[in-house]
Amino acid sequence: MNEDTSAYWRKLLDLNSPLDPKVLKIARTRLVFLRSAFYAVMKWLSDRIAPVETRGAYRENLKPPFILASNHVSILDFPALVIGLPPEIRDQFYAPATRHFYDIPPARFFMKLAANVIRIDREGDFFPSLKTAAQVLRSGSILYIAPEATRSHTGELLPFKVGVGVLAVELGVPIVPAYIRGTDHILGKGRILPKKGKITVIYGQPIDPKPFIEMKKEKQAYDVYQAITEVLRGRIIELSKLPY
Amino acid sequence: MTMDNEIKALVAKVIKVPEEKIGLKANLFTDLGVDSLLGVEIFAALDKKYQIDIPENKIGEIKTLQDIIDLVARCRK
Repeated sequence: MNEDTSAYWRKLLDLNSPLDPKVLKIARTRLVFLRSAFYAVMKWLSDRIAPVETRGAYRENLKPPFILASNHVSILDFPALVIGLPPEIRDQFYAPATRHFYDIPPARFFMKLAANVIRIDREGDFFPSLKTAAQVLRSGSILYIAPEATRSHTGELLPFKVGVGVLAVELGVPIVPAYIRGTDHILGKGRILPKKGKITVIYGQPIDPKPFIEMKKEKQAYDVYQAITEVLRGRIIELSKLPY
Repeated sequence: MTMDNEIKALVAKVIKVPEEKIGLKANLFTDLGVDSLLGVEIFAALDKKYQIDIPENKIGEIKTLQDIIDLVARCRK
């Protein structure tokens, strides 16, 4: 059954078909020429309101393609994560956004300044967004995922959705864990104006998918996806416990 | 074993819930804690057992064991 489930997933993710440039064109932003200006303004604002300290973002760990996965407490999380990265890495990111945000033009404008954006329909058909995510990784770019799938109200890490495990195992790409601290205080769920404070972003060591790909020979594929997802959650919890 | 029972046994095995806890009309997602990706696992198992190609857009319509039984019956025709 194991191999078959995996084969079924590969079919659902279109992994056996050639890359379709149109799929990524929709996600890719036309505003890329404004991105450096956007991050320059963000950096200027951040230095005055909430300076970002980025730790552990070593180039040798950030070699595309990979999945970056973090906790999610604020709309500032993604810009905070990438603001300290070199522009050539930052510009290769694709980040998902729920259709509730994506379908509001001003929100979409700002999201597309920050990154290439994949529209996802959480309540409806999620396969198109999974297929796009697979194409992002196959084309050698970087996919950002918040595996909690929503912002946490309490700051506590919510259970993780297993999709991140499916993509890592079926595409054979590493997952880089990251923990963001402080964005909830500055602009948490429900806040409109930012408060002053400090943001710390901690990158961890990449999680190699190979042992999990091997595990698929013996276990139900879903259990393998769940296993790598749990390892990821554990690593993000470890990062959250590091001292300031 | 009838096909209905076979499907029930297969679903129970995939989602790791005892067969007696899976009512025909129970919502797999809200009542039995199946997530959409485990749902895919059910379809992969059905695909293998009955050699049926379940259209991808039907996956979102499935909510209960009865829906699965009906879908398998339709796909086998």
